[in-house]
Amino acid sequence: MIDFLQLTVAGLSQGSVYALLAVGLIATYTVRHVVNIAQGDYATLAGLGSISLVTAGLPLPVAILIALISVTLASVLIERLVIARVKNLTTLVSIILTLGVSTLLQAIMLLIWGAEAKRLPAFPGSDLTLGGVSIRSQELWMLGALVVVGGGVLLFYEKTRWGKALRASAEQPVAARIVGISPAVASVIAFAIAGFVGATAGVVSSPIYLSIWSGGLLLGLKGFVAAVLGGLVSFRAAIVGALLLGIIESYVAGYVASGWKDAVAFFILIIVLIIRPAGLVLRPNAVRV
Amino acid sequence: MHRAQRRLLLPAAVAASIALALTGCGASNFGGDSGDSASEEGPIKIGAVLDITGVGANLGVPEQNTLNMLAEQLNAEGGIDGREVELIIKDNQSTEDGAAKATTQLIENDDVDLIIGSSRTGPSLAMRPLVEAAQVPTISVAANAAIVDGSEWVFKTAQNDLVVLERILDDAASKGYTKIALVRDATGFGEGIADIITELGEERGITLTATESFEPSATDFTAQMTNIRAADADAVIIWGITPSAGLAQAAYVQLGVNKPVYQSHGVANDAFFEAAGPAADGVIAPMGRLLVADELSDDDPQKPVIDQFIADYTEEFGSAPSSFAGHAYDAWLVGTKALESAGTEPQALRDAIESTADLVGISGIFTMTPENHSGLTADALIMALAEGGRWTLYEE
Repeated sequence: MIDFLQLTVAGLSQGSVYALLAVGLIATYTVRHVVNIAQGDYATLAGLGSISLVTAGLPLPVAILIALISVTLASVLIERLVIARVKNLTTLVSIILTLGVSTLLQAIMLLIWGAEAKRLPAFPGSDLTLGGVSIRSQELWMLGALVVVGGGVLLFYEKTRWGKALRASAEQPVAARIVGISPAVASVIAFAIAGFVGATAGVVSSPIYLSIWSGGLLLGLKGFVAAVLGGLVSFRAAIVGALLLGIIESYVAGYVASGWKDAVAFFILIIVLIIRPAGLVLRPNAVRV
Repeated sequence: MHRAQRRLLLPAAVAASIALALTGCGASNFGGDSGDSASEEGPIKIGAVLDITGVGANLGVPEQNTLNMLAEQLNAEGGIDGREVELIIKDNQSTEDGAAKATTQLIENDDVDLIIGSSRTGPSLAMRPLVEAAQVPTISVAANAAIVDGSEWVFKTAQNDLVVLERILDDAASKGYTKIALVRDATGFGEGIADIITELGEERGITLTATESFEPSATDFTAQMTNIRAADADAVIIWGITPSAGLAQAAYVQLGVNKPVYQSHGVANDAFFEAAGPAADGVIAPMGRLLVADELSDDDPQKPVIDQFIADYTEEFGSAPSSFAGHAYDAWLVGTKALESAGTEPQALRDAIESTADLVGISGIFTMTPENHSGLTADALIMALAEGGRWTLYEE
């Protein structure tokens, strides 16, 4: 039982990283129908950036703040320089474009930070043991980041006027423009959110999973699988899906074989796309935005 | 239309066959055609295939640094027999197919006289059939004895997994441990380790009670360590390279397994401490003498060589070399000594490498024989203890 709970804790903390990336993916998909392959690279970029800043002598919170802001700006820049330039942006074109962006980002990271994995110092706090289950303080930071940042984005989209406007511009672009919502501004905001949540995932996970230039693609794909569980539109379903994915991966590693761990996500992806292509929550015939 | 195409076909076919004939000539030493006089002049070409990016980066990067530094030093001193040494380094991206591709390029396009690499066992094994077929002397810097087992053209400089496990199990037996659990790298480096432990353990009264494995790219080790915690063992061997073996160590301590840990010479670098943090304290690992150089006695024959290397490397790159840098140094040393005495004729060069004797390197004192293409015995290892973020001498 203790082992089971221990595996669950590991799965939840891993899942919280997937969840943040899934939130970023959905943010850009709902507004621009962009599947952003570079989403995972935001995480590594923020992780490596904050490591450099800490090495340069900045206090951890300052380093993290600068990294979060920089990556958010980088994501906006990518939107302005690449995504916004394309006239007839389809989802397929967006995948190819952002794959290019991802490759470019990885090459830049390799040049700047080198090939070796690096670690950000752990956030303050002490590890605890609850009924034999060991929990690292960093794992609580990761789950906390999901609750605050992921939950914040969710509330923003669902409760605020700005968030509703963003969704409106995706669902009815012409009508949205008539009532005064600029699609360009909506797109910039969506990419800023994607950059921010991706960067958050990167800095909170770096102290235990390390940061390496090539790590973003797999992370991003896991986030994508979680986003697909949410039909690419539902933040709630994607977050739940991401946590489930992390937990299932952890159980498979513990009870079956650790080599199967990375295969789980893609097995789930195939099954979902065949059986419930609209995701876990929507009725199959519901209109997708 | 059809006729026009057919008319084009003939010249195209002719051009293609000419091209084939030309490339056939260019790769004339591919089949071991050793009387190629052209390669006896001009620069001596040494190729290297290293795990510079990917999971082996902690190994490949310092190896790349070392080879670049040594090539520069050698050429500044006038090269070998007045011939300049051209070093061509290729990144295999820590993959087997990357290693095979890079090796083929080095053999066919660059026409190299000697190959060094790869950094890890898997890619080294992928190179072996290619260099054996092309008859190019090759010195791997990886550990698993399978790389050189029965090989003719392949040698290696890292200490064999077999002698490393001997040291670990001797120490375990002396402490009265009878049950060992293993957490091993799932790739070539960890292949066969369980069998060796079972075999060597038998004569020492030690049995292997549990085996878990991890990918070198893994970041979460909760699953493996919970299973190890449930296993019946007196001590645990974690067998892998950094950063994964360091992260495994951190998870091991965090999950409170609370049994003594042995690690392999795959963690003989500072990257281990970066990945494991304070969890590294108390780990015992067999490794070469490089990382405990300041504790060596002055009459140690390796001391001057090691001290010089540390000074040179630190001056050039601003940090002390890891054991992996040492493996590359040794491969370069063995290779260039053989080139000095035998030249670039492949068979003569191979024979010269095989007759390497009492050559003092970083990882040990090398003596190759037709049966032993690894050149090091258990004497090349010391037992090191992780203490306060560095390796210290535990036992000679």
